Amino acid sequence: MKRITFVLSVVMALALLLSACAKPAPTEAPPAPEVPAATEAPVVTEAPAAPEEVTLVVWDQFYRDVESEVMETLNAEFEAAHPGVKIERVVKTLDDLKVTLKLALAQEDGPDVAQVNQGRSDMGAMVQADLLLPLNDYAAAYKWDERFSSSVASRNSFTPDGVTFGQGNLYGVSPTAEVVGVFYNKTIMDANGWTLPTTFDEFQTLLAGIKDAGMTPISFGSLDGWNAIHEFSAVQHLLVSLDYINDFVYGVNNVTFDTPENQEAARVMQDWVDKGYFSPDFAGIGYDDSNKLFKAGVGGVLTITGSWLAGELVGDTDQEFGFFLLPANPGHTRLAIGGVGIPFSIRKTTTKADLAAEYLDWMTSPRAAELWANAGMLPAMPLPEGYVAEGNPLFNDTLIAWDTINSENAVGHYIDWATPTFYDTIVAELQKLFGKIITPAEFTKAVEVDYAAFLAGN
Amino acid sequence: MKSQRRWPGESRFHGWLYLFPGLLIYLVFVFYPIIETFRTSFYKWDGFSRERVFVNFHNYISLVTDAQFLKALLNNLVFIIFYSIIPILLGLLLASLLGRKPLPGMTFFRTGLFLPQILSMVVVGVTWRWIFNPNFGLLNVGLRAIGLGAFTRAWLGDFQLALPSVGAVGTWVQYGFCMVLFLAGMQRIPNDQYEAAELDGANEFRQLLHITLPSLRAELGVALITTIIAALRVFDLVYVTTRGGPGDSTLVTGFLVYRSAFQQNQLGYASTVATVMTLLIFGISLIILRFQSRDGEGV
Repeated sequence: MKRITFVLSVVMALALLLSACAKPAPTEAPPAPEVPAATEAPVVTEAPAAPEEVTLVVWDQFYRDVESEVMETLNAEFEAAHPGVKIERVVKTLDDLKVTLKLALAQEDGPDVAQVNQGRSDMGAMVQADLLLPLNDYAAAYKWDERFSSSVASRNSFTPDGVTFGQGNLYGVSPTAEVVGVFYNKTIMDANGWTLPTTFDEFQTLLAGIKDAGMTPISFGSLDGWNAIHEFSAVQHLLVSLDYINDFVYGVNNVTFDTPENQEAARVMQDWVDKGYFSPDFAGIGYDDSNKLFKAGVGGVLTITGSWLAGELVGDTDQEFGFFLLPANPGHTRLAIGGVGIPFSIRKTTTKADLAAEYLDWMTSPRAAELWANAGMLPAMPLPEGYVAEGNPLFNDTLIAWDTINSENAVGHYIDWATPTFYDTIVAELQKLFGKIITPAEFTKAVEVDYAAFLAGN
Repeated sequence: MKSQRRWPGESRFHGWLYLFPGLLIYLVFVFYPIIETFRTSFYKWDGFSRERVFVNFHNYISLVTDAQFLKALLNNLVFIIFYSIIPILLGLLLASLLGRKPLPGMTFFRTGLFLPQILSMVVVGVTWRWIFNPNFGLLNVGLRAIGLGAFTRAWLGDFQLALPSVGAVGTWVQYGFCMVLFLAGMQRIPNDQYEAAELDGANEFRQLLHITLPSLRAELGVALITTIIAALRVFDLVYVTTRGGPGDSTLVTGFLVYRSAFQQNQLGYASTVATVMTLLIFGISLIILRFQSRDGEGV
C-alpha cells in the first residue's frame, strides 16, 4: 500500500510540473472571427445619446502611484463625459500583462482596450494571431497623425500578417514617450563645480573626475538584466547611424550586429568596468535598489536610464536632479534610445470598437498630455499650448530632451525589439561582457548568432 | 486485497460514483494538461494563434543540441546537492541532536527550524535577494561588521557564486522538512535498541550508523524523492532572485520552460522541455523506489 501512495504522490508532483505549462489547444476549426462593422466605417461619436449602461474593460500597466493617479483621473473624466459608460480598469505589472494578455485577447469577453507591448514577440505575434483591430480608419477620423509623427506611428505598426515591423497598419497609440539619457545629481555636481558635458570625450572626462573625487560615477545594478541593455545601447546610439538602427530593429536590409561600432560600444562598457565607473558589485544589485541609492545621493553621481524615472526622483529626498542626453563626439550623429510608451490597442473581436477608439483618443488628448506632464511623465502627444511644468525643472529637462531628439529626427530604438529571443540573448551576453567573461568581439558574435538565426527564419 | 461481495441489488458502478468528483477534477486539471503538454511537444506553436505545425521529433532533436538546455540541466543536477543531499545530511544531524532525549524548549527549536519550509518561495526569494544585496544586504553588512569586509561579494551577480548562493537558499528551505521527517521516524525506534547498543559500547556515531539510519530507510526514501523533485523543478526561487543570470549561470530547466513558453512564444519547445523533465523525474523516482523496496522489504 505504501508503495502505491508513493507512486501516486510522485505522479501528482509530476502532474503539477506539467500542468504548469499546459494550455488548452485551439479548436481545429475555429469560427471565423466576427469583424465588427465599425471597422469599415468608423464614426466619431460624441457622447452616446442613449444613457444605457456600457462597460469598457481596460487593461493597463500603469501600476506605479503617480501613473495610476493619472489613469484614474482620465477614466473618471471619460465616464463623466460619456453618461452610461463605465470603465472597468484592470492594472497589471508589465511582466504580468505580457504573460496573460495574449490569452485574454483571444477570449470573447477579453479586455476591450489593453496596453500591448511593442515589438515582434508581443504586438507582432498578436497581429499574426489576428487579435488586434487595425486603427488606420480611426486614426484618419480622429486626425491622430497631427499628434504623432510617422516615425512614432511606425513603432506601433505592423503589416497585417504581423511579419514586417514598422510599416503597414497602425495597431496602437501611445500616451507616453520615453528617452534614455543621463540623470545627474545636481546637488553633488554643483558642489564640485562639475558642468554638463557636450561631447562624449567630455562625458568620459567627467566620469574620471568623479572617480578621482572618490565617488561612484554611474549608479548601476545589472541583477535584473534589462537595464544593462540601456547602458550599452546608449553608447551604441552615439556610434551608429539612424538607418542602421532602424534596419536592425525592423529586420530589413540584412544588417548585422557584429559591427565595429557595436564592438566599440562593448569595449567602452568593459573600459568603464575596469576603471570602476559603475557601482561596486553592480552585478548583484537590482534596478530599483540602484535607483533608491541614487535618489538618496549615495549610489552615484549619474545614472543612465529612461525618462520614466523622473517622476520617482521628485520628493522624499534632499537631493536635486537633472537630466541630459548622452552627447556624441564631433562627426557622429547623436541618437538616443527612445520612443513611445506601451500603446493602447483594441481587441479585434470587441463589440464596442467605436467607444474603444473614443477612449484611445481620450488617452492621447491634450488634456491627457497635461495630466501626464503634471505627474512628471513625458507625454507622447503635444501639450496644450503655453504649458509650463512649474516647479519641476527635472521634468522640463526630459521634455527638452524628447523635443530635441524628436525635432532632430534622432529617436533611436530599444534593440531588444529586434527578435523574439533577442532580449534573453543580449541580457545573458551583456552580463558576461560586464563580468569580463567574454571579449567585445565575442559579445557581438554571440548576439549576431541570435539575430542571424532570426533573419534566416523570417 | 480480497474482493468484496456486493450487496444484493447494488450497482456494479457504485464505487465509481464515489470516485467521480475527485476523478473528474483530476482528469480535467491534471491528466488532460499532461496529455496536452505531451502532444504539444510535437508541434511548433506560439501558444495562442490558431495554426500549429506538426514537426514530429524536431523539438526533441533541437533539445539535445541546445547548449542552454544542457547548461540548465547541469545546473538542476547541481541543485540536487543543495536541495537534496545537504538538507538530508543536515536534517539527520539535527534530528539526532534533537530527537534522542527530550530537551527543554524542544518545540521551539523544532518549530523554528521548520519555519523556512512553510514560507512561500517568492517570500523566501525576495528576502534572500535582500540579504544578498551587496550594498545594504545583511550578509555583506554582517561580514563588514566583523572585519571580514574582504569576503563581501556581489553574491547573486557573481559568475562563480550565484549558483551556490541560490542553492544555499534551497538548502535553507529544505532541511527543516527533512529534519521533521526524520524526527517523526525516530520516535518509532524502540529506545531499548539504543540502550543495548550503549551497553555494548557503541558511541553516538555508531548508534546513528547502525540503528537510526537503517530504521529511517522509509523516511530517507521520501526525503530523497521529494527533495530531488524539488531540485529538478525549481523555478520560483530563480525567477525572483537572478532570472537565470548572470549569463546563464543559474539557468534551470523550469525557467527555460517559462521563458520559451511565455516570453519567446515557443510553447511547443517549452512543452518538450517539460516532457523531458517529467520523464527524468519519473525515472529517478522509480529508481529510488526500487532501491528502497528491494533493501527494505516490508517497511
